Amino acid sequence: MGCVHVISLLPLLIIAATSVVVLLAIAVRRNHAAAFGLTLAGLAAGICSTFFTPPNQATQLLLMDRYAFFFMGLLMAASLFIALLSYGYLAAREARREEFYVLLLVATLGAMTLTASSHFTSLFLGIEILSVALYGLIAYLRDRSLPLEAGIKYLVLAGSSSAFLAFGIALVYADLGVLDFATVAQRISSTQSGSALGLLIPGTVLILVGVGFKLALAPFHMWTPDVYEGAPAPVTAFVATVSKGGMFALLLRYFSLSGADRSPRLLLVLSIIAIASMLAGNLLALFSTNIKRILAYSSIAHMGYLLVAAEVSSRLGVGAGAFYLVAYFVMILGALGVVTLLSSGERDADRFEDYRGLFWRRPVLALIFTAMLLSLAGIPLTAGFLAKFYLVAAGADSHAWLLIFVLVVTSTIGLFYYLRVVGVMFHQPASERLVPEPLPRRTPAVSVVLVALSAFLIWFGVFPSPLLRLIQFAIGKIF
Amino acid sequence: MTNPMEIPFFAAGAVAVIATLLAITRTIAVHALLYLIVSLLAVAVVFYTMGAPVVAALEVIIYAGAIVVLFVFVVMMMNLGAQDSETERKWLAWRAWIGPAVLSALLLFEVIYLVVRAPVSATIGSISTPKEIGLALYGPYLLGVELASMLLLGALVGACHVGRISRSGREVQQ
Repeated sequence: MGCVHVISLLPLLIIAATSVVVLLAIAVRRNHAAAFGLTLAGLAAGICSTFFTPPNQATQLLLMDRYAFFFMGLLMAASLFIALLSYGYLAAREARREEFYVLLLVATLGAMTLTASSHFTSLFLGIEILSVALYGLIAYLRDRSLPLEAGIKYLVLAGSSSAFLAFGIALVYADLGVLDFATVAQRISSTQSGSALGLLIPGTVLILVGVGFKLALAPFHMWTPDVYEGAPAPVTAFVATVSKGGMFALLLRYFSLSGADRSPRLLLVLSIIAIASMLAGNLLALFSTNIKRILAYSSIAHMGYLLVAAEVSSRLGVGAGAFYLVAYFVMILGALGVVTLLSSGERDADRFEDYRGLFWRRPVLALIFTAMLLSLAGIPLTAGFLAKFYLVAAGADSHAWLLIFVLVVTSTIGLFYYLRVVGVMFHQPASERLVPEPLPRRTPAVSVVLVALSAFLIWFGVFPSPLLRLIQFAIGKIF
Repeated sequence: MTNPMEIPFFAAGAVAVIATLLAITRTIAVHALLYLIVSLLAVAVVFYTMGAPVVAALEVIIYAGAIVVLFVFVVMMMNLGAQDSETERKWLAWRAWIGPAVLSALLLFEVIYLVVRAPVSATIGSISTPKEIGLALYGPYLLGVELASMLLLGALVGACHVGRISRSGREVQQ
């Protein structure tokens, strides 16, 4: 490993260094604003570094190509928004706030490692870094019972899913004797009839269990509503975006590497998982009356939609998947940003009552939330619509008709519960409730975030070509 | 059986499974810990039979040697006082230690058999030496080592924050 390789690791190095610097700053003197400022500076520097870092294969573990840089930039931007959301949120709730940023940076590093992984070792380490930092983040408000409960649930389930993942990797290694994705794909395609020991398919399925847990795909989604509900709202946003985004980028890379030689049995398993996720997410959300749980179920459904892109895994499919992921990041960050802003010091604003008549009390906030929800539902003029459109186009291109059919039908079901929340916000309250309640805290940073996200939402929905060109540039190398 | 090394492998594996099952079903923490130690020792023997003596040694030194003994000390130190010494005497009844002792004796017998029986051969592949492992860790897997250090940093900060006892006591508000 020479100097060239070290330079190509720049985004990872910046984030790792920032986490250590924040830690040292805490050791010298506890200051919330300083920790916050250092984190923002580190993340901003990391985002900038993705534009000019030269691509390279840094040892066999990490492939730092434009694809990885694109997703790293996206993940760091999401972390930046989450840090902005967290500042006011933590200031009102927790005495020791500074470690939050260390954990946030370490978790982001884990997700970034996933996007560049070209080896099962870095995959496993990335997932573990992400999970271990998330245990701390989810249970960060440790004086309250709900976050602690959510943290324990995540700890137990993530631990067992890691066991599945490790066992799956071991089986693949036992069969093929290699661990890097490129050689694995090559061995799979060279032995047409399958592997020597027949452990490849069981191994891959066990790996899928581990990955499916992280993405909250259908049979492994049980933890999602509880963790989303229990975790502090900014951490919920982190789980929904950075954690899933890193994993999904990895999945897209792995499938595009193994290319067209994938076994039909594996494709069948993936189709079943995708269909089950779309159905389970949308149907379960219908019966929920808690905003955070609805967003959790909706994220299960969205991961199901994204899996359609992973399955198609043509150039069109990967492009559609990347676009969908960007749109999903914007929508879910916006929605959870509104939840964060409305939350009081006592509890997060996750009940319907918190939103009843919101439009009459705080019209701008209600409009932003409405835009985010409509985009999640896939209404035209928003990023969510175009994202679904590209997904359907990619699916139609590969004749995945059943998946498209389920996608369209479940999206229609989804419309119902998003519109139900919108309806609650526009509900005319009784006259005595018209007095606007003061916000728990003046938080200009959150307002800036929400306005920026709304701008992105409309921009990508109306004029997507700059983003599409960026994505085409980013995925140019892997095909 | 083509390879006589497979018998100790499966025997140690069986000990590991039995000890782990017993560890998670015991109701007294110290008893469970005894079985946990046996389970880790058995895994070490499994590694040894597979041609990874370095990993086996690390398993014994780090897991059974350092981590679990630390557990045992902490659990023991929590039990002070006359009433607790009575409990402790009850814990040390022969029924408590005979299980782990028998399983450990099995492992000891296996290790002696493996060491005496020369030349040592691995069930699969070749035997990895400390030099090879060092070269791999600080060559192609260097980034893995660095990533593992970040993993430990995250775990440490998280555990330190969540486990800290606040000044106002440990009451949890709803």
